[in-house]
Amino acid sequence: MEKIKEEIRQIAREALTGKKVDIILAWEKGPLWYDSYPAFFTKEEEVDSLTWDSFCINNLSKYLLEETMADKKVGVFVKGCDALAFNQMMQDNRIRRDNVVVYGLPCPGMIDPDKVRAKRLNRGLTEVKQSGDELIFVTKDGEITVPAHEVYYDKCLYCHYPNPVVYDQLIGEKVAAETALDRSERFSQVEALEALSAEERFAYWDSQFSKCMRCFACRNVCPACSCERCTFDDDDLDILGKAREDSEDQFFHLIRAYHVVGRCIDCGECSRVCPQDIPLEKLNRKLIKDINALYGEYQAGLDPSTKAPLVTYQLEDADSFTAGEKGGKGT
Amino acid sequence: MSVIANNAAVKNAQAFEPLIVAFCCNWCSYAGADLAGTSRLNYPANIKIIRVPCSCRVNANFVLRAFQRGADGVIIAGCHPGDCHYMTGNYYTRRRFSLLKNLLAYVGIEEARFKVDWISASEGNKFADVMNGVLEKVHKLGPNRKLRDSRWRR
Repeated sequence: MEKIKEEIRQIAREALTGKKVDIILAWEKGPLWYDSYPAFFTKEEEVDSLTWDSFCINNLSKYLLEETMADKKVGVFVKGCDALAFNQMMQDNRIRRDNVVVYGLPCPGMIDPDKVRAKRLNRGLTEVKQSGDELIFVTKDGEITVPAHEVYYDKCLYCHYPNPVVYDQLIGEKVAAETALDRSERFSQVEALEALSAEERFAYWDSQFSKCMRCFACRNVCPACSCERCTFDDDDLDILGKAREDSEDQFFHLIRAYHVVGRCIDCGECSRVCPQDIPLEKLNRKLIKDINALYGEYQAGLDPSTKAPLVTYQLEDADSFTAGEKGGKGT
Repeated sequence: MSVIANNAAVKNAQAFEPLIVAFCCNWCSYAGADLAGTSRLNYPANIKIIRVPCSCRVNANFVLRAFQRGADGVIIAGCHPGDCHYMTGNYYTRRRFSLLKNLLAYVGIEEARFKVDWISASEGNKFADVMNGVLEKVHKLGPNRKLRDSRWRR
C-alpha cells in the first residue's frame, strides 16, 4: 500500500498541475491512528498529505453529487465498493460522468478499529504494514503480526468486488476476488431472524429501532440515498415528526430500507456509521435476498445501464401474496 | 365460507372492532366494492375504503402510516395483472408490495394484517370474501400495537 500511496500522490499531482481536474477527492490522515478521512485537494502542494492505507474506509463516491460538484472536473479514487456506489449514482442520474475522472484502487480490505481495540493492538501504534495475507502492527514495543481477516471489517470478509467495476485508470495490481467467507453466508443472519416467531422478531427490531436517535448518518452516507430533497427533512410534508416515539423510529427505518430497495449495493456503510450500532444491513440484506429469490439475482451498481428491479417488471413475475398464483392475464 | 355466517361470527365475538384500511384502485377494486354493494353482499363496515387512481399509487408510507394511526389491518386491492387501466401500473404494485409484505413480516408484523389482492370490477363476491377474510383473521389476532403511535387515540 505504501508503494501505491506514492503512485496515487504522483497521479494526483500530475492531474492537478496538468489542469486535467479541478479537484482531487481522496483521503487524508487525521490525528488518530484510525483516522483516514475524505479530503479535497485543489493545489499541488497539498497532495503531500494525501494518504492510502487500511483505514480509508470512507466511500468518496457520495461526495460527487451533481450539485456539490457543479461544473467542476473531479478526480476521484474509488475502491471496489465505492465503484459499485459510483455506478449506482450514475444509474440514478446523480453524477455527470464527463465531469469525473475515476481512478480505481483494488482494495485488499479495510481494518475495523473496533477489532483492533478488542485485540489491544492500538497501544502505541505507529504504523500498519501489509504483507500478503498478514498485517504487521508496528507499535512502540515492537511488531505484532496478525492474519488480516481477523481485523478487517465483517463486510470486507464477504466482499465480492474488491476490484473496481468502473474506472478510467487502474492503480496497482488487481487483487483476488476470493472472499474469506462464502458470499451466500451474508444472508445467514437474515435467515436466523426469519426462523423466529413474529413476536420475537418484533421484539428484536423494536429494541434495535428504539435505540435510534435519528441522526440520519445512515442516510447521509448511503450512495443510494441521494435525493436532492429528502422527505424526512421536509417538515411541511409531515412525513416524520421530531418526537422521541418508537413508531416514528420504526417508520423511519422501514422507509429508509424500502427506499433503497433494489439500489442498495450492500456496502454496509449505514451500519458502520450508526452511532447506536443498529444492524441496518440485516434489513437491507433481507430485501436483497427477497429480490434475488423473487426476481432473479441482482447486484446493484454492477452495470449502470440496467434497470433496478423495482422500476421494471416482467409479465410473469412471481409475488409473495397470492398463494401459488402467478398473476397475469387468464389466471 | 359463507359471508353471512362469517359476519355473524364477527358480530358475536367481542367488543373489539378492528379498523381496516383498504386502498382500492379506482378502475377495478373500487368498482368491485360498488358491485358488492349493489349485489347486496355483506361486507363489514370496519373496512374503510380509500380510493386511489391505481394500486401502484399506494406508497409504502401509506401502509405504515395507516398502521401508525390506528389501522389493525391494511389491504391493497388492484386490477388483475394484465388488466391495469394504465397498462402497467399493477406490475409495479406486484413487485413493490411483494417486497414490502415480506419486509413487514420480517420486522414482526403478523402476515394476516397486510393483504394485497387482485379484485376486478366484476368480482363483487371476491371483494366481500377478501374483506371478510382479512377482518376475521385480524379479529382473531386482536388490536394491533405494533408500529402504532403511542400518542394516537381512536
